[in-house]
Amino acid sequence: MRVLGKKELESWLSSIMKERTLFAPKRVDDLTLFSPVQSVDEIAFDYENTNLSPKELFFPRTDTLFTIERKDGDMEITPAVIERETVIFGIRPCDARGIATLDGPYLDEPADSLWAQHRDKTTMIGLACTKPAPQCFCTSMGSAPNDSSNVDIMLTEVDDGYAVETVTEKGELLLQGVELEESDVKPSVPSCDTDVPAEGIVEAIQKVFDYPYWSRLADRCIHCNVCAYVCPTCYCFDIRDRVDRRRIERIRTWESCQSKGFTRIAGGYDPRADKGTRLRQRFCHKLLYFPQQFGPLGCVGCGRCVTACPVNIDIREIIADLQELGAKVGQGSN
Amino acid sequence: MVKEATEKVIPNPFVPYPATLKRVIDLTPDVKLFTLELDKAKDEFDYKPGQFAFVSAYGVGEAPFGLTSVAYRKEGLQFAVRRVGTVTNALHQLEPGAKTGVRGPFGNFFPLDNYKGKNIIIIGGGIGFAPLRPVINTILDNRDDYADILILNGARTPQDLCFAAEFDDWAKAPQTKLELTVDAGDENWNGRVALIPDVVAELEPSPKDAIAIICGPPIMIRFTLTKLKQLNFANEQIVTTLEGKMKCGLGKCFRCNVGDKYVCRDGPVFTFEQISQFIEQF
Repeated sequence: MRVLGKKELESWLSSIMKERTLFAPKRVDDLTLFSPVQSVDEIAFDYENTNLSPKELFFPRTDTLFTIERKDGDMEITPAVIERETVIFGIRPCDARGIATLDGPYLDEPADSLWAQHRDKTTMIGLACTKPAPQCFCTSMGSAPNDSSNVDIMLTEVDDGYAVETVTEKGELLLQGVELEESDVKPSVPSCDTDVPAEGIVEAIQKVFDYPYWSRLADRCIHCNVCAYVCPTCYCFDIRDRVDRRRIERIRTWESCQSKGFTRIAGGYDPRADKGTRLRQRFCHKLLYFPQQFGPLGCVGCGRCVTACPVNIDIREIIADLQELGAKVGQGSN
Repeated sequence: MVKEATEKVIPNPFVPYPATLKRVIDLTPDVKLFTLELDKAKDEFDYKPGQFAFVSAYGVGEAPFGLTSVAYRKEGLQFAVRRVGTVTNALHQLEPGAKTGVRGPFGNFFPLDNYKGKNIIIIGGGIGFAPLRPVINTILDNRDDYADILILNGARTPQDLCFAAEFDDWAKAPQTKLELTVDAGDENWNGRVALIPDVVAELEPSPKDAIAIICGPPIMIRFTLTKLKQLNFANEQIVTTLEGKMKCGLGKCFRCNVGDKYVCRDGPVFTFEQISQFIEQF
C-alpha cells in the first residue's frame, strides 16, 4: 500500500493548481460545492458529499455549442472547444460512477464532442467515503464507498495521510514525481448499510407501468425539477439561441422531464400532459429505459434527490414499492 | 462557413450545414414551403422519404421538420413549415437569400423498396402531409414498381390543404386516385366535408397486398388506425411517422422517447406492429 502524507497531499494539490484548474469541495455559504480553488485552505476536506454533483464540470447547466457571427453577409460558425485542463479532487465513488454512466448516451455515436473533450481534459482524484450519509445507498446500486472503478486516482484516508491507488494512466501521469511511502496500514472502509432492493427492478417496473401508483405519487410533485438538477445522471437538455449584439450563441441548458410542456409538440399535443406520466418517465428512464439501452441502472445511489425533494419523493421507497407491487402481479397471475 | 479544426477533434454534431434560403412559397395561410440550398457539402446530405432535419433561424433556435423534397430530383432541400411557435415564426419572416443552417438528415425512412408491387394507401392530415409528399413523388417517379395508389389528403378547411398545386399531377397519374376532404368547407368547396377516419371507412380500401401510410395529428392517427383495423388491415401493414419534441436528433436530449425508443433515432417511421410493442403511448 502506498501512502501520501497530509502535508504532501497539500503540496501536490498546490502544484496542480499552478498548471491546471483544480476543482475541489469548497464551502459556499451553507453549501459544499465543487469550485475552482487557488489555495488548499479553500478546500473542505471534511464533507459527506457536495450538494451538487460534479456532472456540471462535464455538462454545464448552460453550455455554448457554437457561436455564429455575421461576416460580410455570411454567417461564420465556430464550434466550441474545451481548452481547460481540469483536475477534480475529492470526487466520491457514486459521482464518478455517474460520470461513467453518462458516457453511455454521450459517447454513443455520434459522440457529444463537448462531453468527450471534457472527459479527455479532466483527471479525477477520488476520495473514498469515511462516513456515508443517511441518504446514501451506493452499495445497493452496485458500487461501494471505496469503489475506485471510475476515477483516475483513488485516495482513502488513513492515519496521517491517504492510501493511494493509481487506477489509470492519466492518474499515473498526474502522480509523476510525487513521493509516496510504502506502508502496511490497512484503510478501514465504512459500510453503506441502507438496503434498497434494486435487483430485478427492470422486470418489476414493467409489470406496474400502467398502475395508478404513479399519478398518486405525482399528486404531491410540484415539478420544481430539483431532483434532476442535483442528480449526477440526469442529462436531458434544451437547445436555444442566445443573442448578444452581433454574436449569436447556440446554447444547451439543463432541462427536466418533470417540466410541464417538456414533451408538448407543435400544435399543442402533449403525450405527457399530466404529472403522473411525467413522474413515471423519470423513474422509468433511470430504472428501465437506461438499463435497456446501456446496461447499468441510471441511478448511482448518491441520495441527493432524497434530501433535496421538497415533498419527500424518495427513490429508495419507490424502488421498494415497485418491487412489492410487481411481486403481487406475479402472484395474481400464478 | 465552418472554421476548420486545427487539431484532432470529434466533430461537433450540433453544428449545422450552412445553407441559403432560395425560394419561399405560400402553401396555405400559415404554411410556407421553403427551398434551401446547402452552401457546400451538398453531396454529403443524402436522404430518403420520411427522414427529417433541423432548420435554424439564427438568433432564435432550430426546429425539426420532415424533408418534403426527394433527394434524387436535386431541387434543393424543401421543408413545409407551419407557423406555430417561436422558431417557425422566425422562419416565416425570412426571405430568399437569407442565411440559415440545416442539421441532418436524421431518423429512419419509409422502406419504399419493400412496398414494390403493393397497393399503397397514403393518408395525411394537415401539415402531416409534408413527409408523405416525397413518398408520393418517389412512387409516381417509379410508377411501374407499384400497384394501385390511393391518396387521401385532409385538412381543416379547403385553404389548409397542403400541396394543392400538385393535386392535378397526382390525380392524373396512372392507377392513382386522389381524394380530398375538409372538416369544414366554404362557398367554393364542392368536395367532401368529412373527417379523415370517416372517409377511410367510406372508401373501404382493401387490405389485400396493401400498405397504408398515415401521418397527421396523433388523434387523427389513432382514429384512422381504428378504421383500418376494422377493414382488417394487420398492424404490419400500417405505417406512420411520429412526432416528438426533439432537440438534438441524436438520441441524447431524451425529449422524444416513447418508452425505450427514440422517435429521432429508432423512428420517426414505425409500423403499428412496432408501436403496439411500445410500453408507453405515443
